[in-house]
Parts: sequence; C-alpha cells; structure tokens
Amino acid sequence: MMSLLMTLAAAAPYKEATFWMPESASTVAPQVDGLFDFINIICYIFFVLVVAALIYFAVKYRQRAGQNTFEGGPTHNLALEITWTAIPSVIVIVMFVLGMQTFLDLRTAPSNSYDVSVTAQKWSWTFQHPAYAVTEAAELTVPVNRPVRLLMSSQDVLHSLFIPAFRVKQDIVPGRYTSLWFEATKPGTYQLYCTEYCGKDHSKMLATVHVLEWDEFQTRLGKLAREYEDIPESQLPAYAINRLYNRCASCHSLDGTTGTGPSFKGMWDRTQQGTTVFTDGSTLKQLQASGAEYEIPENYIRASLVQPQRHVVQGFTGAMPSFQGQLKERQIDAIVLMMKHLDTLVDADGNIIENPDLGGDEEAPVEQQEGSTK
Amino acid sequence: MYGQAKEHDHDHDHPDFLGHHWESPTQQFEAGKFGMWLFLTTEVLLFGGLFCAYTVWRSNHPELFRYGSQFLDTFWGATNTAVLLISSMTMAMAVTYAARGKTKAVIICLLLTLMGAAGFMAIKYVEYNHKFHEGFYPGLAFYEEPNASHLWQPLDETAVAHLAHDKTMDMDESNLLHAEALVRAELPEAPAEAVTWNKAVAGPGPGGLTTSHEQEQLAEFTAFLPEAFLGDNEDIAGELEFADGHAPGEAPHMAHPLQDPVRPVNAQKFFTIYFMMTGLHGIHVVLGGFMIIWLLYRTIRGEFSREYYTPIDLGGLYWHVVDLIWIFLFPLFYLI
Amino acid sequence: MSTTDTPNMTGPAPVPDNYLTYSRGIWSWLFTLDHKRIGLMYLMSVLGSFFIGGIMALLVRTQLLVPEGLIMDQDQYNQVFTLHGAIMVFLVIIPSVPAALGNFVLPIMLGAKDVAFPRLNLFSYWLWMTGALMFVLALFTGGLDTGWTFYTPYSIDTGSAMGGVIPALTGAFVLGFSSIFTGMNFIVTIHRLRPPGMTWFRMPLFLWAIYGTAIIQVLATPVLGITLALLVVERAFGIGIFNPALGGDPVLYQHFFWFYSHPAVYIMILPGMGIISDLIAVHSHRHIFGYSFIAWSSISIAIFSFLVWGHHMFTSGQSELVSVVFSLITFSVAIPSAVKVFNWLATMYKGTISWNTPMLYGMGFIFIFTIGGLTGLHLGTLGTDIHLHDTYFVVAHFHYVMMGSALIAFIGGIHHWWPKMTGRMYNENWGRIAFSLVFIGFNLTFFSQFMLGSQGMPRRYGTYPADAGFQFYHVLSTAGSYILAIGFFITAGYLIQSLLGGRRAPSNPWGGRSLEWQCTSPPPHDNFSEAPAVGDCYDFSVLRWDENEQGYVWRDDVAHPGSEDVS
Repeated sequence: MMSLLMTLAAAAPYKEATFWMPESASTVAPQVDGLFDFINIICYIFFVLVVAALIYFAVKYRQRAGQNTFEGGPTHNLALEITWTAIPSVIVIVMFVLGMQTFLDLRTAPSNSYDVSVTAQKWSWTFQHPAYAVTEAAELTVPVNRPVRLLMSSQDVLHSLFIPAFRVKQDIVPGRYTSLWFEATKPGTYQLYCTEYCGKDHSKMLATVHVLEWDEFQTRLGKLAREYEDIPESQLPAYAINRLYNRCASCHSLDGTTGTGPSFKGMWDRTQQGTTVFTDGSTLKQLQASGAEYEIPENYIRASLVQPQRHVVQGFTGAMPSFQGQLKERQIDAIVLMMKHLDTLVDADGNIIENPDLGGDEEAPVEQQEGSTK
Repeated sequence: MYGQAKEHDHDHDHPDFLGHHWESPTQQFEAGKFGMWLFLTTEVLLFGGLFCAYTVWRSNHPELFRYGSQFLDTFWGATNTAVLLISSMTMAMAVTYAARGKTKAVIICLLLTLMGAAGFMAIKYVEYNHKFHEGFYPGLAFYEEPNASHLWQPLDETAVAHLAHDKTMDMDESNLLHAEALVRAELPEAPAEAVTWNKAVAGPGPGGLTTSHEQEQLAEFTAFLPEAFLGDNEDIAGELEFADGHAPGEAPHMAHPLQDPVRPVNAQKFFTIYFMMTGLHGIHVVLGGFMIIWLLYRTIRGEFSREYYTPIDLGGLYWHVVDLIWIFLFPLFYLI
Repeated sequence: MSTTDTPNMTGPAPVPDNYLTYSRGIWSWLFTLDHKRIGLMYLMSVLGSFFIGGIMALLVRTQLLVPEGLIMDQDQYNQVFTLHGAIMVFLVIIPSVPAALGNFVLPIMLGAKDVAFPRLNLFSYWLWMTGALMFVLALFTGGLDTGWTFYTPYSIDTGSAMGGVIPALTGAFVLGFSSIFTGMNFIVTIHRLRPPGMTWFRMPLFLWAIYGTAIIQVLATPVLGITLALLVVERAFGIGIFNPALGGDPVLYQHFFWFYSHPAVYIMILPGMGIISDLIAVHSHRHIFGYSFIAWSSISIAIFSFLVWGHHMFTSGQSELVSVVFSLITFSVAIPSAVKVFNWLATMYKGTISWNTPMLYGMGFIFIFTIGGLTGLHLGTLGTDIHLHDTYFVVAHFHYVMMGSALIAFIGGIHHWWPKMTGRMYNENWGRIAFSLVFIGFNLTFFSQFMLGSQGMPRRYGTYPADAGFQFYHVLSTAGSYILAIGFFITAGYLIQSLLGGRRAPSNPWGGRSLEWQCTSPPPHDNFSEAPAVGDCYDFSVLRWDENEQGYVWRDDVAHPGSEDVS
C-alpha cells in the first residue's frame, strides 16, 4: 500500500483540485490524498451497507395493519458479533499504520531543507529568509522542488499556519519554536491561512505563498534584499504602499473606513494639525508643543510604529503590535513618506494607483504585489 | 427521644429520618456512604489537576522548588499536620460515639474537631500573613517591592544618586558608577546576611520573568557580576547556602528574593503553586468547619441516634479526606 | 395543562391524580423534590437554551453567505460563535439527556420511587440555573470572544479577550458541579435502589448508558473545574501557569482542558445511544440484539474515553510519539460504537417496525451517526488529520455526532416519553413532517461542510477569500440551516399544541416493556405504590394492542412476571 502511494506521489507531482481536495502541489500531498481516498472508500462501503440495511429492514419489516402481536427474533449470534467486531478492528489498524507513516513523513524535514523563519502575530505574518537577510510580509516566496522548513514563533497568542495545497499545518505556540516542512512541486500562488483562533481579525490573517523556479527565486530574493536600499528617495512612498502596506491592511484602511485601527486616509493632515485625541484625554497638539516629543510631526508616525502603546487614539483598543526590529530604518522612512503622499498614491475610493506621480527621478516603478487589499 | 424532633403527618409508620423512596434505614445509610465516597473521588480529581501541575513543574524546574521551600516554615507546617491528624482522630471518635448514641461525647468530640479546624486556619493565617509581609505573593505581585519585610534591605536610590553626584565633584574622574559604589559602602551597616541591592535581578527581564529557554540559561549567569555592582560584599559563596527554615523569633538568614542574585528565573511559580494548593485546601478546611458546626447544631437538637447518625459518618469521611490531602501537601512543599 | 376532558369515545380515562396535579403553585415546582418535576424543569430550561444557541447558529450561517461577511463585523461574529458553542455544549447538550430525560425516566424505569438524593437533585438544577445566569452576565460585562474552548494565552490577555471571560468561566465551573451531582445521584440510584428482580442485566439499556455517562460525569468534570479555576486565577492574578509571558505553558492548558472535554463528548453521546437502543427495540417490537455487548460497550466507552484526549492536539506541538499513541487508542474507542450500529440494525431485522416519529428519529440517528462516526476515522488518522484539523471538516464531524446524533436522540427521546411525561399524544403527521425537514435540513447544512473543510476552509472564520470556491458550499449549508430551523419550529408548535389539547395518552402507547410503561401516563407522584415486578424488558411478545385503550396492554394468555419464577 505504501509503495503504491509512493508511486502515486512520484507520478503526480501536481494535481488539480478534485471534489474533496484542493489542488495538490507538494510532495507529500499525493500521499495524504491517497490516504484520504482509502479512508473514504472504506467509509462509502460501510455507509452503503448500513443505509441499505436500514432502508431495507425498515420497509420489509414494516408493521402491517392488524399486526398487533409480536414474536421473538434472534437476540444474539456470537459468530456474527465476533465477525463484525474483528473486521472493523483490522481495518482501523491498517488506517492507523498508514496514517502514522504519512504523519512521520510530514513531521520529518529532510536535512537539506531551505530554512525560513516565520513570525506570527495578531493578525499578520512575517517571513524571514536568513540566507538572504530578507523579510517578507504576508507573502512567502519559496523555491520549487526543494524542501523548505519553516521555523515558527509567535509574538503573542496561539496561531497556526496552514497551506491547504501542500497539506501541511502546525500550531505556533508563543514561548517556543515549532516547525513544519514541505516541498512544493509546481510554481504558482497558493493560499496560506491562520487556522487557530487568535482574536478579532483571525479571518483576515492570510498570506500568499509564491513558488518559483530556483533561479527565479534567487533573483527575486536578491532583489528583495536590496530593495529598500536601491529605491530612490522619491519612490519610497510607492514602495511603502506596494510592499509594506499589506502588513497594515488588516487594521488600517485606505478609504476612510474605521477598522481595528484608524484609517490612513487623512492621517497626515490630522497629524500635522494635531487634532488626534488619545485615550488619556491629551491631544496630539499638546504633544507637539515646542520641546515636546512630537514637535516634529514625523516622529509621531515613527513612534506609532515602534511604541504603539505609548499613546493610543481614543476609541481604539491599543491592539497594535510593535514593529520594532521588524522594520528597517529606511522602511520606516518609507512609511512616513507614504503617509505624507497618500493622496497621490491612493485614489478617492482607497484603491492604490498603478503609477503614481511622485516627481523626482523617473525610475522604474515598484510593481504592486499580488493580493494587495484595499 | 432521639430522632423524633420533627412533627410529621404520616399515615404509615417509619422513622422520621427515612426518605420515602428508601426501603430501610440501612439502605439509606449505605447509599449515603456510597454517594459520599463518589463525591470524595471528585475532590481527589479536583486536587489531582493541581498535583499534576506540581509534578510537571517540579520535574521541569526542580531548582524552583529547592529554592522556594526554604521560605516555608517547617515548624508551623508540622504543627498544622499534627493539628489535622488529631482533629481527624477526634472526628473518628465522634462517629464512634454517635454509633453508640452517646450524644454528649459526640458534642465534645465535634467541638474538639472544630477547634482543630480553627487552629489549622489560625496557623495558616499566621503563615500567610508572614509571607505577604515579606512580599511573597502568587503571580506577578511577587515582583512588587514589599512594604515592610525583615528580609528586605531597601536602599534609597535617590539618596544614593544624590550622594554620588556630590562625590563626583570631589573626585578627579567623574565616574558616577564608582561614586555610587563608594556611597553604598558608606551606608549604614546592613545585617551580615543581607545582600546589596541588585537591580539586574529584580524586575521582569533577565533574571526575572522570561519567555524563552535562551533567556533562562542566560539568567543562570547573572550570578557572576562585576564587583562594582556588589559593593563590598565579599562573601557571595556564603549566600549560596540557604537555611532550611528557622524557628519563629530566629533572625532569618536568607536573602530576599528580589535582592538575591542567585534567585532562579520564574521563582514566582513556586509561590503560585504553593498558594493555589494550600489555598484550595484551606477553603476546604473552612467549608469543613461550617459542616462541623452544622453537625453540632443538629446533634444538640437531638436529631441523631444510634439508629441514625449518617450525617456525622459522612462528615467524618469528608474530614478524613481533607486531612489526607494535607498529608500529601506537607511533605511536597515543606520537606522536599 | 387542561383539567377538562377532551371528549373521547375511546381512549384511556384521564388520570386525575398524577405528579402534575399532586400539588399546585410555583413554589411547589421550584422547591420540588420530585424527580419528575425536576426533569421537566430541566427540559424547559435546556430547550430554552437550545433556542438561544440556535439563533446564534443561524446568525453564524447567515454571516457566511458571502465571502466578506453579510451581517456582522469581526468582533460581533467572534462573540456569536463563542456563545453558540458555549451555550450548546454547557447548557444544552451535556445536561440534555441525563438531566432532562434521565431525571424523569431513570427512577421509574428502574422501579424506584425517586433518585437516591432528591435534595441534591434539586440543588443540581439550581446550580444549572446559576451557571446559566452567569453566562448571561458574561454578555453584559464585556462580552465573550474566546471560543468555547477558552484557549490560552488569548483568553488570559485582558487586552484582547473581552471582559466577560471570568463570569463565563465561573458559570461553566458551577455548571460542572451541577453535572457532577447529577452523575453521583444516578450512580448511587442505580446501585442501591433497584427493586428485587431488577438485576444488572435486566436493566434496560438506557440505564446502562446513563450509568456509563454518570461515571464520566463524576470523574472528568472535576478536572474541568480545576482547569477553569486555574484559568480564572491566571487571568486575575497572573500566576504564570498557562501564560508563556510569565513562564507558563499554553499547551498544558490544552491538555487539562481536553482531559475533561473529550470524555465530555461521551457524556453527550452515550445517553443518546441508550435512548436509541430502547427506541429501536420498542418501535420495532423486537428484542434488542446483542444486549450484553451493548451494555458492556457503554462502560468500556466510558473508560476508554479518558485515554484519547490528545487527538484534539495533533498539531499543537506535542511530541510525535504522544500523537501516535493517542491515534492508536482513538481507534479502539471507535469500534464499540460501530458495533452498536450493527446491533441496532440487527434489532430491526425481523421486527415489526412502526414508522412513527420516535422511530423515524431512531433511524435518522443511525444514518447520521454512521456518517459522523465514519468521518471520525479521517480525523483519528494522523496523516489526514494534519490537513483537516481546525477546518470545517472537524466542524462537520462534531455537528454530525453532537447535534445530528446526540441531539436527534434527545428529540427522539422527548417524543418517545412525551406521552408518559405529559399524558398527551402529539400529532403524528406533523411529527413526521417536522422530522423530514429536520433530517433534510441537517444533512444539507452539515454535509456541505465536509467538503468545505477538506478544501481548506478554516474554522472560526467570519469572512473568507472569494476565490477559493467556498461560497457555493456555504450557501448550501445556510439554506440547510434554515430548513432545519423550520423543522424545529414546527416541532415546538405541535408539541405545545399537544400540551394544550392533545389526545390523552394511554399508559403504554408504544408497546414498551420497561417499567415506566406500566404506570399511568402521567405517572403518579410516588411512581409505584409497591415494588413492581421485573421481567425481560425487551420481550414484547407478552403485549397486544387494545383498541379501547388506544395503547398496548398485557396479553390475557400470558402470566405477569412475579406470578411466575423470574429467571
């Protein structure tokens, strides 16, 4: 049975979605699917047997008119009872053994795995490639046909990383490291979910997995590694809205809708005017007095990123996590500039504009990443 | 005379205490006992969860328990054990006398048991009070500076800083750190066993609370600190020997945890499990006390007799289990 | 409850002196020691909670009609699914059969006059009420959005989880004691209050099932108690047991929680299986097949249920070895349940099956429980569970066994014992119509969720990606839920109508042999004035239908037990 499943695995590196399963795009997926199908077949057989017997007996032995006295009937049959206990027992043991083997394969990463560090926090994903010193947000780029191992940690509560197309899942427990591994078999884009309830925006804690050919992968990561250094100052706002904003998107809208956090629309105006009121009753204006901490308004944006609990805007819960250590200095600069130029980057409805007019050197625009939300 | 205190309108003849659905007093008594044993099983399982947590923590962090148990007073613990054992004996005597219908003896024995319960709680009060005085609370509160503890040697930081500032004016090099060390050296003499204030050990952070194994390992090395921070205290090795406990009135010769450079990480966990388990047990002792009062009340009213003393018997069972749980708690916390 | 007679030319005479008319006034109910009245009060409270939990369910389903969520924001949705789960698990399913039906039926079926400790029984009911009120309090002191499982550290963090957590945990703690005391009562009753002749192996299988359930209630619930108490203290004082920021372990919480909550699901299903054993036997008028096996399986399921809790935690970070061990033991629990299904089918073989509403629920149970049990195999198997855990596949599985099986059995039991409890018959045609709607609605609602889960839709999501192909199944599922709701509303309708003016019920409308069918409908206050005679409770050959009575009576040519040697 196992060799059959393994042969299936070798023969089907990728499979389209079926009735039960989504597309199968990893080396272990055919094994899991084969096991699932095996269990399904057993289930169909027993279901049909039981329901057929149920309907047949219910109809055949239906009480007819006038049938008002009742004779006995068999009350036990040792041979039958032993048989119908033994056969299912054997079947489930087979299921258990196959399940265990697949499980151990799922849990044992090959030694030549490509490592990625995953940080899960309420409610976003960050992926770090130590080999390239690259951090990705809400996107995971991995090479095809190479084992990839994810080393995962949580900043706050339980999360769980789930990629249905690869058939992998593992809880992320704060206070320790957990890991999972997979080997993707076809380049493409796959959905990644958080699948352990973590609070308000649990349903929005999504990410995209990009599987690329090896050289394409290297090129892309190389580019990412240099990206915020290479980008000219004038293009930093576009870089921020296209590459960084998706980390903020689950709480901060661009079109004025209030979410878990205030909308970015008009935020720079509010910051300059100091109209923002905080939960302790103080206003931003008071903190912008001469010599006060936000005398330079840009510092308010910066402080909100690295010490968000310092001043919480009234009407909000202070749920924002700190991005200290996750954002490089130049990325923080980019975000500040993004706030200042938001009107140019985003249209009235909150949609990101393709080629914003930022002035300065006409460098190649930063491409908008797939899956950016409004 | 006994068992007939209540008015009863009945057309059939059965003792007052016999429920309608029972065939005989024996059946009722046996069933009551069975029910009580079932209830006590649930109590064992309730405490079982805590014993399980104790086991898990102790096997993962034995140093916490070795460290924490020195702050418990074995004398009072042993006294409490003796008190509960004696009260168990008087309770058993109460049951025996009840079976013989000797009401006066029952009342005396129940009173003695009640005194035992009260005595246990009084000693518990003394112990807990002492702990809170020292600042040993469960959970996060452990890390708050206690108001008046006789282990604690508070240093007036402002005074130290002020004095140090003055000193740097006198010295050639404006080395504040060195100045502070000199100031501390000139402070009034602390008792020999006390250790000078060590900020790095006190609050959350390395040496305090931690979330990761790496940090825990790091914290083990905080014992080795530059001398400037430790002032003139030469005998660090001496601090590593802790006393096992001390008789009341004896001067304590261990350092306060918040000032102790060799305090293990997450030390509050010991006091957490200690207070949770002894606290839950204490609640059960108090409830047992109320139960004994109720039994006393009913005995004085003459509701029990040779034929019917079930509540006393069942109450006795409960009391024995409460005692038994303490018999386990005492060695686990005080002795090992 | 009308005291005037419904004009009947045939049919049983009204029973003027029964437990309902024994005493009057609200205090005689609120402070009653009569197990029958306590059972009825539980029934009304449980059904009321079911209504509220059901409304929550409809809200959840409506929200998921469109990918971006139709009617609620995230915070509201999180509260709604949490309350749905907490109410259904703690207030409805766990007490349902034991407290509502068990309390009523057990002593009569056993041949006793009451449970062993009537005052403890009343106290259990008031504890339930207190727990329920605390849940309501949780709503008003900040809300509850942790999920019914209260996983840490989310439930500890006062900055994220809402303020109603501590009242809810305290409510669940109190409800736990209600469950414990009920279990204690039942165990002692079954051990000590059996009349002469009622040996262990003469007991109806419903009693074996209640007995197994009571064992679990007594042994498992205290562990839930201490877990919730620890969580309250952790949240309030930061003691550092489950919170990793204070050196605690969130996975330890999961172990503690599931150590109770897995046996808890057997508290839910075992009594339901007991009802089905009796329903199938009585309405097929056939001796149950394999009595010994079914009796022993109730006990062995109760014991084994304590050994498998880790199968809820395969992806939690526990070691591979632990996962393998739990998976193996999990399969052992599956086998007795499967064999019970075969036994029930064999009972129908050569029976004389009446297609009345209780039997329809019994057959519906077999259909639904088969699917629920079989899909447990996918989840017990490690390799597939990794993919399916925390998806809608799990949601579908547990609704099939908890709702489709335990709850269906509960409703079937209500219909089966309705004439006995109320002295009235309900409208059989409406019963069948409602059953059809419930059955169709249920399967439509939850079968679609299997595909949702295996395709990757995660649990506890209030919104979902539009391009994943999930919406189709969500729409099917929601449509099914509305049909299901209509079925339940119709059921409530005809049951209330039966109370107001239904046909009077005979002592034995269905032809049962267990002792509750030998007293009047409704039973007298004392159940039995003298100890009843016990025979084989599955031997229906001694009964015949009586037109005058519109029920079953003893055959004239067969001697009653007690007048012959009871062997």
